[in-house]
Amino acid sequence: MSVEPFNRLVKLTARAFYDDITTKGDNQPKTGRSDNRGIAVVVLDALTRRQWVREEDLAKDLKLHSKQLRRTLRFFEEEKLVTRDHRKETAKGAKIYSAAVAATTEGPPFGKEGEEKIKLHTHSYCCLDYAQIYDVVRYRIHRMKKKLKDELESKNTVQEYICPNCGRRYNALDALRLVSLEDEYFHCENCNGELVAESDKLAAQEAGDGDDNARRRRREKLKDMLQKMEVQLKPLMEQLNRVKDLSAPEFGSLQAWEARASAAGRAVNGDSSSNDPSKSSQGYGGTPMPFLGDTKVEVAFAGAEGKEVDVKSETGNASLKVLPPWMIKQGMNLTKEQRGEVKQESKMDGSSAAAPSGFSDDKKSNVEDDKKSLQDEYVKAYYAALLKKQQELEEAAKQQESSNTAVSDGLSGMSNRQVGMKSKREDDEGDDDVDWEEAPVAGNTSESFKVNDLNVEAAASPEDEDDIDWEEG
Amino acid sequence: MFFHIVLERNMQLHPRHFGRNLREHLISKLMKDVEGTCSGRHGFVVAITGVESIGKGLIRDGTGFVTFPVKYQCVVFRPFKGEILEAVVTMVNKMGFFAEAGPVQIFVSNHLIPDDMEFQSGDMPNYTTSDGSVKIQKDSEVRLKIIGTRVDATEIFCIGTIKDDFLGVINDPTTI
Repeated sequence: MSVEPFNRLVKLTARAFYDDITTKGDNQPKTGRSDNRGIAVVVLDALTRRQWVREEDLAKDLKLHSKQLRRTLRFFEEEKLVTRDHRKETAKGAKIYSAAVAATTEGPPFGKEGEEKIKLHTHSYCCLDYAQIYDVVRYRIHRMKKKLKDELESKNTVQEYICPNCGRRYNALDALRLVSLEDEYFHCENCNGELVAESDKLAAQEAGDGDDNARRRRREKLKDMLQKMEVQLKPLMEQLNRVKDLSAPEFGSLQAWEARASAAGRAVNGDSSSNDPSKSSQGYGGTPMPFLGDTKVEVAFAGAEGKEVDVKSETGNASLKVLPPWMIKQGMNLTKEQRGEVKQESKMDGSSAAAPSGFSDDKKSNVEDDKKSLQDEYVKAYYAALLKKQQELEEAAKQQESSNTAVSDGLSGMSNRQVGMKSKREDDEGDDDVDWEEAPVAGNTSESFKVNDLNVEAAASPEDEDDIDWEEG
Repeated sequence: MFFHIVLERNMQLHPRHFGRNLREHLISKLMKDVEGTCSGRHGFVVAITGVESIGKGLIRDGTGFVTFPVKYQCVVFRPFKGEILEAVVTMVNKMGFFAEAGPVQIFVSNHLIPDDMEFQSGDMPNYTTSDGSVKIQKDSEVRLKIIGTRVDATEIFCIGTIKDDFLGVINDPTTI
């Protein structure tokens, strides 16, 4: 599941096949200055440490000229190692990506969104395509081996024949003319002597030793090359075997990745970066909305934080677990459908903090109980500040959603969510963004990769997302 | 590989065919002339499937023959390097065997026959595996891969191999 074996594969591949690739055109003279061999390795290595990356940023990081980098990347795109995406976007659009990057790299939270340029720039992004790399490398090795073996066995070579008398040479394409009616040999057109195949020892002696030596030398060279290849590519092939049964990390398309990453970023930064979601949410829809929706999101964070820690401990205990955390949570909810329902409602009321903790007591560990109560307190405090009307609306929505949950099974996490959304859409317009953010995350099946790849906080992100819906719906 | 293409040819027709059957005469002559011929460029013309157009005839000075430019559709067969063909063995000798795939002659040299097949001379020369389970002799059907072609203006000759996966005898005449 981890990306590490695949990264190793990429690194080995880079060193094996792209070590001395120059991206300069052949017509340009190669001076010492413009010799950029090895750049391919550097770029590939850099990409193993990133996911989707804007090419300009990558160029900056590698201290390369962006043109040079682009040329290299285009080469890799042709080699099918890298997927690229180009899109026109405003400065603001680019920020979505930046937010995503900030999330994955744990960089400082992205700055203010103020300046809004209408100007469109085409930005290119690139990302390693691990699944394809695996296939490409395997195919490449297969072709190399096949070619050498074919040559070695002279599989596809045209047989040559020599007349021992006059030394005249023929090849198999002349066969029709050479065949005689008397016997089963080929005969020389010139002297009617019996022809011998060139590789036969007899022919070799008669046709001169040098030729035979050349042939033998060539054979040996091929054999040598094949052996060398076996030895030198051994680590790569071992890595291929190791990776064989692992599922390749999948980043999905740029958009999907961005959505996920920015969601993860929010999980990491918690409430402090509450401007993040609003920022990213505005990105595509372009409709800046009142902060109605935002407040609800924060409620979700409170809930998320409690569970986030919970998930952390869980993943810590059983690191082998393949299921993404949101699945686990879903299951928990399902087991206590009825009570969960009640609990949610009471929480929504915000009046009885004790009640929910009591409920959770049944189902969860003590540790979680504590967190629950904390969370509930937070919820209570928060909801005290909310308008009554909104509260009521939400509760109605909640009821609707929870009833849905009771009916549906674990698979329908997505549908649950959407039901929640719809009900919410009725009461405020600020849900557009949430919808947009969530859809890709929910649809993503390769969540599990991210769980291991990023740190645990990132892993908690889908959980966080889930929670948002759960509580706000 | 087979292709369905449109070719053009100038047909000369004797004046005695002029009349209401001119067109029929023209087409039957075209078929007689063209079908079975081989051009290096297009390969063997297998069959004419239709006549697209017949242009205006031009009377040749002195002879009275009339030349018609005729456009016709036909199926052509052109062997390519790397192509897999099924062929009938026509002759087996020590140097290999010859086979025919329709109009194309293919030679498979003994170096391109799997190493476990040995030449057996005699009344019916053949190549046989050591256990005798597979035998290539005259009239055997083999699947082979073309590894080289010689394309002249009027003939195409190929050399093939059966030394690869899934190549070799596909139907033994003795077992029928």
